[in-house]
Amino acid sequence: MLEVADVVTSYGKIEALKGVTLSAAEGRITCLLGPNGAGKTTLMYSIAGILKPRRGSIRLKGEEILGRAPDRIVASGVALVPENRLIFPQMTVRENLAAGAYLRRDSAGIGQDVEQLFERFPLLRGRASQLGGTLSGGEQQMLAVARALMSRPRLLLMDEPSLGLAPLVVEEIFRIIAELNRDGTTILLVEQNAHMALKVSHRFYLMEQGRVSFGGTPGQLAEDEVIQRAYLGSRR
Amino acid sequence: MSLLVDFVQTTLDGSMAGSAYALLALGFTLMFGVMRRLNLSFGAALMLGAYVAAWLHLNAGLGALPVAILTVAVATLAGVYIERLCFAPLRGRDAVASLVSSFAVWMQLEELATLMLPRHTNAFPGLMDGDPLLIGPFQLRPDQLAMLAIAVALMAVVWLGLRRTRAGLALRVLADQPGAAIAVGIDIRTTALLTFAVASALGGLAAFLILAGDRQVTPMFGMWATMKGLIAMMLGGLGSLPGAVAGGLLLGVIEAHAQLRLGPQARDLIAYGLLFVCLVWRPGGLFGQTLVDTEATARARL
Repeated sequence: MLEVADVVTSYGKIEALKGVTLSAAEGRITCLLGPNGAGKTTLMYSIAGILKPRRGSIRLKGEEILGRAPDRIVASGVALVPENRLIFPQMTVRENLAAGAYLRRDSAGIGQDVEQLFERFPLLRGRASQLGGTLSGGEQQMLAVARALMSRPRLLLMDEPSLGLAPLVVEEIFRIIAELNRDGTTILLVEQNAHMALKVSHRFYLMEQGRVSFGGTPGQLAEDEVIQRAYLGSRR
Repeated sequence: MSLLVDFVQTTLDGSMAGSAYALLALGFTLMFGVMRRLNLSFGAALMLGAYVAAWLHLNAGLGALPVAILTVAVATLAGVYIERLCFAPLRGRDAVASLVSSFAVWMQLEELATLMLPRHTNAFPGLMDGDPLLIGPFQLRPDQLAMLAIAVALMAVVWLGLRRTRAGLALRVLADQPGAAIAVGIDIRTTALLTFAVASALGGLAAFLILAGDRQVTPMFGMWATMKGLIAMMLGGLGSLPGAVAGGLLLGVIEAHAQLRLGPQARDLIAYGLLFVCLVWRPGGLFGQTLVDTEATARARL
């Protein structure tokens, strides 16, 4: 589904991604682990077109999307659930969902999708006309996921969905991720919670200092080793 | 009894002037809400529109309607020019950068206008003539009534446009959470440009209504419009649409009362005083439910 090859992204003179290569297979959950500052969020923003990589190639189903404007990338089927959720705080839950469908023109289909998402996230239905900013952290995360799904993505990018949530809510979020995937959504997931992430993922990559240092299936590396490297980086 | 009649009459007069302030504030607040940037040359853009129209009024005898259309059109173009020059290249940079460059463009537009019409006072066509309407003991000027009606209609159009149209959704989303606006596929370049165009068109119409009431335009109009719009917006609350309307009306009414009790010199003094009191006592403005507050509420609930 997604092929990232040799992507270099920099902030001014600082290279945050120093040639990243990885892929996310269709219908699978691919997870990206690594310490803070490894470049995970930079990679997400590069795929979404919000940051412009200096070099490399990003292909979606064989089609080059690197260099496209962010709205064109959303239109080609990539949706981002951003870090810190970034829901629209002064707009109602329903309006948040409508915003997620901004590029779509089929109002009937949009209405159906809102209904379907309310089935999936009953908590949101109860809060449909409440402002996004008044939701709890977990509800906001669900809203951010639902908003991203409103664009009917082929690939869902999720940037640290468990950040700052209570353990029970984290479990709920991971249950939702697994469920979305079971229904056919391809997911690329960035996580700090290595334990939970390894449980749901089919494949994972370790990122350290702007490079991919390991790629494989969960179980290929002992969880202790993964956690050690995901939080602290590899020992030199 | 006559004290009460005076009071109501002054309040009526003030709210009609205030409806024009409200339109100016609405323009400011749209731009501020979407970009979180102050456009100091807003008034200058409106003044340029009025000057081009006044020039054609003088030289080609243009009537009120074409003057209105021209004022709005030129103000809109000037707004687009300002956005492209001072705001688009500085997106994501320090707010002071675009503030200062918009100040420079203010000077530029003002020079341009005064080169075109060097006299201090220039004739501007009136909206309509006619004796004041008498309703009970109260007098209402028909042109002022028309101004109020047009202003209210415009506010309704803006309100509905923001809620019912796709472009309105883009504007609100960008105002609410720019980081996520890109993620849902909103093109920031076009939306920002559109915001400036709409704000300047609104301002252009407000400028026409105000100047048609005065029957003249001077080079001070740009400064005046920026000041009134800014004060009204800050009274109401930065980036809040109902706040802009309330702030504009409040400013108009208080100014009218100040003028009646303390004389015309006190009018502006009171306006600045009001701004000062507001900033000290309630820095967020009347409707100052700012983004910061919502973020804090959201965090407290985590």
